[in-house]
Amino acid sequence: MLRKLFYLINFSLLAFFLLAIRQDARRGWKKYQSRYYRMEIARLEQELAQSSDPGKRERIQEEIRRWRSMGLQIRQIILRDFDRVDRCITCHVGMDPFANPSLTNSFTENPYQAHPGKLSSSHPFPRYGCTLCHQGQGLATEVAAAHGAVRHWERPLLKPPYLAASCARCHVNFEELPGAKAAALGKDLFDKLGCVGCHAVNGEGGAVSVDLGDVADKPLGRVDFSYTGLAREEWSVKNWIELHLTRDPMEIVPNDPQGKFGEPIPPSGMPPFYRELQPSQAQALTAYLLSLSHESVPHEYYVYASPKPKPRFANPVEHGRYVFHKYGCQGCHGIGGARGVRNFNALGPDQTRMDQGAEPTLTKVVGTYTREELKEKIRNGVPSSAVVKFNPEGPIPPLYMPPWKDKIQGRELEDLVTYLLSIAEKGQWW
Amino acid sequence: MDVTRRSFLWAGWAALVAFAVGNLAAAARFMFPNVIYEPSQKFNAGPAAEFPEGVSTQLTTAWRIWVVRKEGFLYALLARCTHLGCTPNWFSDQNRFRCPCHGSNFTPGGDVIAGPAPKPLWRCRVEVASTGDLMIDRAILENRPGLRERPPFVVSV
Amino acid sequence: MNFPNLKAALINSQIWRSIFRSGIWKDTPRDRAGHVIGNLWLHLHPVRIRPRALQWTYTWGLGGISFLLFLILTVTGVFLMFYYRPTMELAYRDMKDLEFAITLGKLLRNSHRWAAQAMLVAVILHMIRVYLTGAYKKPREFNWCIGVLLLTLTLFLSFTGYLLPWDQLDIWAVTVGTNLAAATPFLGYEGPFSSLLGVHVANDVRFVLLGGTVVGENTLLRFYVLHCVFVPLVAGALIMLHFWRIRKDSFSAAPLALPGPRSSAEGAAAPLSSASDEEKVEVWPHLVLREYVAAGFTVLFILLWSILQNAPLEELANPTVTPNPSKAPWYFVGLQELLRYFDPWIAGVMIPNLIIVGLMAIPYVNPNPKGVGYYAWRESPFAIATFLFGILLWFVLIFIGYFCRGPNFAWYWPWESWLVHKAPPPPTWDLPLWAGALLLLFYFGFGILGPRFLQREISFKPAVIFYWIFAAAAGAAIYLFGFTAGQVAALFFFLFVYYLFGFLMPQRYLRDLSWPRYLTAMVFLLMMVGVVLKIGAMVGFNLHYILALPQYNFNI
Repeated sequence: MLRKLFYLINFSLLAFFLLAIRQDARRGWKKYQSRYYRMEIARLEQELAQSSDPGKRERIQEEIRRWRSMGLQIRQIILRDFDRVDRCITCHVGMDPFANPSLTNSFTENPYQAHPGKLSSSHPFPRYGCTLCHQGQGLATEVAAAHGAVRHWERPLLKPPYLAASCARCHVNFEELPGAKAAALGKDLFDKLGCVGCHAVNGEGGAVSVDLGDVADKPLGRVDFSYTGLAREEWSVKNWIELHLTRDPMEIVPNDPQGKFGEPIPPSGMPPFYRELQPSQAQALTAYLLSLSHESVPHEYYVYASPKPKPRFANPVEHGRYVFHKYGCQGCHGIGGARGVRNFNALGPDQTRMDQGAEPTLTKVVGTYTREELKEKIRNGVPSSAVVKFNPEGPIPPLYMPPWKDKIQGRELEDLVTYLLSIAEKGQWW
Repeated sequence: MDVTRRSFLWAGWAALVAFAVGNLAAAARFMFPNVIYEPSQKFNAGPAAEFPEGVSTQLTTAWRIWVVRKEGFLYALLARCTHLGCTPNWFSDQNRFRCPCHGSNFTPGGDVIAGPAPKPLWRCRVEVASTGDLMIDRAILENRPGLRERPPFVVSV
Repeated sequence: MNFPNLKAALINSQIWRSIFRSGIWKDTPRDRAGHVIGNLWLHLHPVRIRPRALQWTYTWGLGGISFLLFLILTVTGVFLMFYYRPTMELAYRDMKDLEFAITLGKLLRNSHRWAAQAMLVAVILHMIRVYLTGAYKKPREFNWCIGVLLLTLTLFLSFTGYLLPWDQLDIWAVTVGTNLAAATPFLGYEGPFSSLLGVHVANDVRFVLLGGTVVGENTLLRFYVLHCVFVPLVAGALIMLHFWRIRKDSFSAAPLALPGPRSSAEGAAAPLSSASDEEKVEVWPHLVLREYVAAGFTVLFILLWSILQNAPLEELANPTVTPNPSKAPWYFVGLQELLRYFDPWIAGVMIPNLIIVGLMAIPYVNPNPKGVGYYAWRESPFAIATFLFGILLWFVLIFIGYFCRGPNFAWYWPWESWLVHKAPPPPTWDLPLWAGALLLLFYFGFGILGPRFLQREISFKPAVIFYWIFAAAAGAAIYLFGFTAGQVAALFFFLFVYYLFGFLMPQRYLRDLSWPRYLTAMVFLLMMVGVVLKIGAMVGFNLHYILALPQYNFNI
């Protein structure tokens, strides 16, 4: 009996140890690397067969010998400025500046193809690496882990159009940058929709909701994905942002309006932008937001372009309209003040449910104020306790008018009020 | 009194014991670092007397701190929701902090009045320096009723 | 020249004989004895041993397995040290290197991790086995104490090693774990009475453990040194002492007297069965072979486990983002669970220390010399029942903390999704100071004196039947007063735990002890039952504190 156990143990120990070694030796990257070598050698041999010039043949033969003698190895770029190591070129050999100095090749599929475009000359890989722009897990040498689509890695691979976010991190005033179109469009939409009225960016803007200045760095531990319906692998900041634009935010952050767990808490106050945004626009906006990060970049990596000149207005109404958009008033009151957005449990016209509450529609109400009253209202805002509730037992409405007296002053305030009075639909509402 | 050999032997042993105990004490003291390379959690918040009655949000962006003055006392609340760590906002009209992430509400004292937060907001250690400046230490925190209302977590001004 | 001659020449050469001493193996008793005596590692064994000691079902090889795991951990740990740098910037990256870039690095790290977990389990099971077979009793009391210390060191080794990968899982587990140290009475800045000594955050025991006020660079270095050098050295010294004492006190599975067959009246031990004089057998090969098999299966188990499952590694440590929930390592999660019912100075400091002291006190409190060398339930039912109750309690707490706690440490069934939102806990209340003081006084006063001064022994069956009749009647009465059925059930269940362990059993089994022993036993017993009762009061009735003195941070 003991003798049999003795044999059993010793043979299984050896067998499992060999299994472990085999597992270790057969890493995925070796397959890609050796395949690349073989493809490169085959291409060179074809070239050799077609060439008759002895000098050129010599060079090609030399090149073939070089590829033949190149061992399988983990290749990496060490980025001292960023304290990173990128091993992406272990599989993407065509992008290794030492194995493939021209950084071009004829392959068309990943991971074999060289980096498309001319980026490698303006962003030399030994200095920029890969993950600085593409994100993902540079240290990893297995596909899923390297692309960051695994648990416990919060920066998965950024794909176009979201990739533009990375351009916008270093390129200040990126509006005219050729490669960062999506981010530029996103910024444009961000301004147009008036997001800044509620979401400050690094302190600039309204304080109704969270500051988005470092939204791209948001740790997933601070996000409650429970109502998103996303699978665990899809939890990412990118998806979290985009869902706010492609679905009704009230569904994603419903909170507790019925007061099941105590005092009622209203759902997210963010208006349902999904109705007006195309999917491509939502992606562009997401790309722009993903560029908002506080991750430090050494100053020499920043690239500046001249900012757009500030518009000048002779007409006070035109200037007022500009001010209205600059501070994001349309975020709650609608573009041109034409339609107040949803404000949960605020008392609105023709209301039967709490979620039909709305912000005031300016074209309808500004006419009921004098110039001075309007200025007063803008300066001091309307605190959320003063927002009339539809259901007195329900939650305090999430949206309110913040006081603008520190931000909108002087000429801007005067012209804003002039503009507002100009859009009032006189006499119709009353 | 005669010094016999035997009594002197005891003195010798006593010396050895004192040496050993001294060594232990020295080793223990050695383990307490005198300098630590942690980013300072302590900061000067300016003249204590100048904070207005009620909740002041002027330190929120720079230090994540609310300074509250109430009935001649000052205390400093850490602006970090005890639920998932977001930064709540102050609503003077409702006299409460409300967290934008999951809707936890807190009183100016830091107690939870609504939402999922499991415990009250943290109060930081505060003291008034000889210059009259308020010193806030964000490393030393307290949120238990009974303890947080006592120095060093409140200071009278 | 043929092979046997060559072999003989080799073995008889001066070089060979200078190293191994023994000559050609002839498998004589002298050879076998020489094998054990002449070998540094094997001579920890006696030369001959009783056959009974060879039974698997006596030791299960647990002590040897624990030691083997310690050796595996030493070897794998030394290899890991070649690639590991204990700094905040590099530690996590080195973990990734082990996983992705170093040959067999992942296997090595997995083996180290799983062997550590297996060692904890083996050590705990070893302790249970030693207890159940009475091997802690005279003359082995001191060795039992060393064993308890080794258990503590194993926990500490595992805890210090937990931090080293420097990921989110670790720093928060260690933050939770070391915050308990801050609650030490007098010496921790959050502990009761610490303000009297001028203890604050930058001079208390937590500060010296962390080398700072938060888990940071110094903590990593400290834990690294403790984990790799200091604690293993201390543990190694104690292990040597432990083994040496086993040898000196002789192996417990060879008592002179074994109880006779159970057929004798009342199951009392019959004197000296023939087994006492049984023929001894040689350790080599009989015992050594069995040890080999146990060791082989252990290594195989660790190897398989390491191939099949990777050691966890989460995001890079981030001191500003707390995962929700953040849990202590599994062996401390029972303590963390206790934190819901007690203030940290009790749950995190008093209870673990009392457990250690209590375990060490057992052999000195229990004067019963019987029941050594076999599973002796009948010889000491009280000692074994109480011990198993404590172990069960510990693992139930671990189970709850590990499997049943979700975000905000709210209760989630193991099959329930953590995405479900749970109501915040109901408000709690405290007893008034006088009532709490009286209750505690009565609990310990009556609890200690009651069983001793009972005129005569109460037999169990009528006492238990009486209790449940009383419970049914009283329960029905208070049910009518508006308590829920769950509360009534909780009340009488937890009272029954007290009634059984704190009253019925002591009055039967402890009444003949000498006073010092009796007092020690009762104080520890009442505290253990008290923990259970407090949990019941909290779960059933939302009672937060029995005795609250917030000004001294002293709340029970």
